[in-house]
Amino acid sequence: MDGIHDLGGKQGYGPVPVVEGDAPFAHEWERRMWGLARAGIAKNITIDWFRHGLERMVPADYLAFPYFKKWVTNYLMLMIDNGEVTMEEALAGHTNRKEPPAKALSLEEMLEFQRGLCTDFSRDIGTKPAFAEGDTVTTKSHTTADHSRLPQYAQGRTGKVLAYRGAHLLPDVGAAGVHEAEHLYTVAFTARELWGDEGHPKDTVTLELWESYFA
Amino acid sequence: MTSFDSDEAGRIHRHLHSHLPSDPALRVKALESLAVERGLVASETIDRWVEAYSEHIGPMRGARVVARSWIDPDFRARLLDNAAEAIKDFGFEGNATGHLKAIENTDDQHNLVVCTLCSCYPFSILGMSPAWYKSTAYRSRAVREPRAVLKEFGVDLPEDVAVRVWDSTAELRYLIIPQRPAGTEGWSEDQLAAIVTRNSMIGTDRDLKVN
Repeated sequence: MDGIHDLGGKQGYGPVPVVEGDAPFAHEWERRMWGLARAGIAKNITIDWFRHGLERMVPADYLAFPYFKKWVTNYLMLMIDNGEVTMEEALAGHTNRKEPPAKALSLEEMLEFQRGLCTDFSRDIGTKPAFAEGDTVTTKSHTTADHSRLPQYAQGRTGKVLAYRGAHLLPDVGAAGVHEAEHLYTVAFTARELWGDEGHPKDTVTLELWESYFA
Repeated sequence: MTSFDSDEAGRIHRHLHSHLPSDPALRVKALESLAVERGLVASETIDRWVEAYSEHIGPMRGARVVARSWIDPDFRARLLDNAAEAIKDFGFEGNATGHLKAIENTDDQHNLVVCTLCSCYPFSILGMSPAWYKSTAYRSRAVREPRAVLKEFGVDLPEDVAVRVWDSTAELRYLIIPQRPAGTEGWSEDQLAAIVTRNSMIGTDRDLKVN
């Protein structure tokens, strides 16, 4: 979707907060949010549905909220949507529908669990990729209202296949809970193709693009 | 059950926008209380996650991998061929490293990583990302004016060095291998790892300092 999240190439956001934004966390609540997210508290979701949830936030909030405030808001949305809590419970921050407490993990158990989160998104789909390294490809000039990983700045642009990456789960359907894979490529675009004369003649931008993103 | 309904997500978000307290600390407190009450996680486990990402999982892992790649040519070859597998030598695999790629800086090419669509980052090898990586300024500008962004980080790139920006919006993640600085001949892996900065592994730092 052409949402507020699609920031690549947009102008007017000012300098990067290089010094004041160097730390990963500025507040304790940010650390708690990160821990909650790692613990996987939203059941029956996909990574793509999680990202699409962020994209469907109120646009002004998306721009104004710090990163982890976006996350906590999105997690509440996900857990209302999947029926874990009601809207009333989310607003109250409390539920009477209690479940037995979860087992506390030791640091060792948790670090072992973390290693297992090394997810493989590739699938064997039994068809041959249509393109190979060095081929010229052109992307579609538009996207749909649904989740997509084809940013606006690279729509309708021509680039070269840098590498074929195998077939990976397609985020567009993953956001709808469907696990289907498509051939994936890393494509390099020249800065001139993307940004016209302002692009440096030596520079390139690469993106991972699925086969259905090509025109 | 999850609806996977985009418009429903939008409706819930608009309701939350109008009714949740603005203070993010209160929102997180509510989320944690609900998650604990619903038996989804123990508060002690969240403490452990915070501890893990403060003391065990962070850029020191990536720095170790880079240092090894400078002194062990066989490891470097394996790393460049398949970083997701190579980091298992250290047990560093985990969150967002299933399709990790290592990209080396050269005299002719500098590499920079961004995610313009969210803030994808190789957590298990670099820890939580710095706030600037998730900022609207970095996400919007890195692909369009990488040289100006690099200058803000103190990297003044010669005109004849090409910049390649890796917009990592799929499940591939990138670890940039900075060049080994002169004057480090004979150094141990520990000594070398100590000079590798987090930013150099994202690409917002280039010439590592020796001292």
